[in-house]
Amino acid sequence: MESRRLREFTDAVLRWLAGIIVCAIFLLPLIWVLSISFKPPEEWIAYPPRLIPEKITTSNYVVLFQPGNPVGGVGAMVSAAEPVTRAFINSIIVVPIATAASLVIGFLAAYATTRFQAGGKSLPLFVLTTRMFPPVAFAVPLLVYFRALGLIDTQLALILMYTGFTIAFSLWMTRGFIEGVPKSIEEAAILDGASRWRVLFTITLPLVKGGLAATGLFVFILNWTEFLLAQIFTSRQAITIPVQVSHYVGAVGRFYGPMAALGVVASIPVVVAGYIIQRHLVTGFTFGLVRE
Amino acid sequence: MASSGHPLADTSEGRASFLSRLRRAVDEERFFGTLLITPMQLLLWFLLIIPTIIVIYLSLVAWEPRMGVDWWQAPFAFLRNYAQIFQDGRFWAAIGRSLGVVVAAGGLEFAVGLGLALLFMRDFPGKRIVTSVILYPMMLPWVVVGLAFYLLFLDRGPVNFVLTQWFGSGATVEWFKNPLLAMGTIVLADIWQWTPFLFLILYSGLGALPKDPVEAAMNLGANRWQIFRHVTLPMLKPVILIALVIRALEAFKIFDLVFVMTGGGPGTSTETISLYIYRVGFVFGQLSYAAAMAVLILVMITLVTRFAIQPIEEG
Repeated sequence: MESRRLREFTDAVLRWLAGIIVCAIFLLPLIWVLSISFKPPEEWIAYPPRLIPEKITTSNYVVLFQPGNPVGGVGAMVSAAEPVTRAFINSIIVVPIATAASLVIGFLAAYATTRFQAGGKSLPLFVLTTRMFPPVAFAVPLLVYFRALGLIDTQLALILMYTGFTIAFSLWMTRGFIEGVPKSIEEAAILDGASRWRVLFTITLPLVKGGLAATGLFVFILNWTEFLLAQIFTSRQAITIPVQVSHYVGAVGRFYGPMAALGVVASIPVVVAGYIIQRHLVTGFTFGLVRE
Repeated sequence: MASSGHPLADTSEGRASFLSRLRRAVDEERFFGTLLITPMQLLLWFLLIIPTIIVIYLSLVAWEPRMGVDWWQAPFAFLRNYAQIFQDGRFWAAIGRSLGVVVAAGGLEFAVGLGLALLFMRDFPGKRIVTSVILYPMMLPWVVVGLAFYLLFLDRGPVNFVLTQWFGSGATVEWFKNPLLAMGTIVLADIWQWTPFLFLILYSGLGALPKDPVEAAMNLGANRWQIFRHVTLPMLKPVILIALVIRALEAFKIFDLVFVMTGGGPGTSTETISLYIYRVGFVFGQLSYAAAMAVLILVMITLVTRFAIQPIEEG
């Protein structure tokens, strides 16, 4: 009995230690980025590297939005860089609109495909093909006809693509939530003379509200982080945050401080959204095929 | 049918109106359903079906934007673009690298994820906090993960600092100048970001398994490994397959990390297939050649997933 107790105790301690190590591994890269983002230029690649900055400065963040403003010496260095304000405005316009559109269209289609098998049994599976292939494969033909439609470097082009390429997630996640609503409730309302629209919006919709919110936040994460399509279809006017991040890593080169600061700012909205829907992350990434 | 005066005398009329009402209801249902899926159908036509038709057409012509003619006026090349692919070593090398990422990253993510999931099956202090900490990498933008690992592996970055502390000042490694090491850092970043996904899915899969078979096996005297290998693993198989198929498809697309961390370099030694098609189509401007490569990829992925999905459908 004693030895079993001891074994259980050492087992728990070992698991706890492993937990700490795992935590450290997953936290360190982000902590390093955070640390650099608060360092003045002379500390960016100082040797030996320090986890906690000697002199904490916020000028890396300020300079992102005011490149000409020489704050703490950083500003003068990056005065050539473009301000990230435009990218932020674009992301803040494009991502919510595309997310809302994807959610509405996905919800309507999910309802029709689960309740009436509208479009045939294989339609939902067919929608999954939009996520099977590398987006670059679709980007080739899309570029050709978006150019013909005059959509290159516009927010509209991104909204259309982001709506379309997240519809598979909106459809499949909300399907799961709709299946959770008993059909008998809807049938009872229909027998009482309610129209199908009424049933959908006053009975089903309120019951899946929470699920829709989770789906919406998940799609928001996908759209906010999308890079390849934005990189191809925008050049100046409609660039988004991830494109701006890549500009900082590539062109601005050695300006590690602002680069890190931009990484932090770009991550905050999605990490917040992700933690709100923690429980649904697996459901999201597996199209609802695996539920928690 | 029935004698007159009976309340059900007009049965045939009643049946007719019932039928028409039923038909109306079905019609209404069908109409309603069709209406609801129409926006999605339009999007699918706009972003999936029409582009697929265009990409196939483009792959059969010889067209580059700089030719000055519109793409529908370009001369036919028939299968010449495809023939070119088969002699294009850079294409096959890029395919090989993307597959390498799928195997190396996917395999390690699965192994580490499963290990963590098993570790987390028992309680220990702080488990909930650790679980939430593990989650966040998969929410981050890929470009930010690339940026973080780029900063970690800089010549004068913390990784090299730790190495020089352990192995002396000669241990500084130029991570992004060596093809194999550069690829390694990309795979490492992918593992760091996506192990949480496999962990989470396996962890919730393990938690949802019925307890009885395990207890039965224990009563029969099976040891831990036997129970894991012959009881737990087979029950977990459907979840594992879904997770691996989804992760493999995603890992094959790998672009953002490469673009940010190495730009495909040194040379073209870390160029994945997404990056190569991107360059051919959008940097070199050879759109019809890029289209042919895209079509080939579509065909290959369709074939591979058909085989991969079969066991899921059967299971």
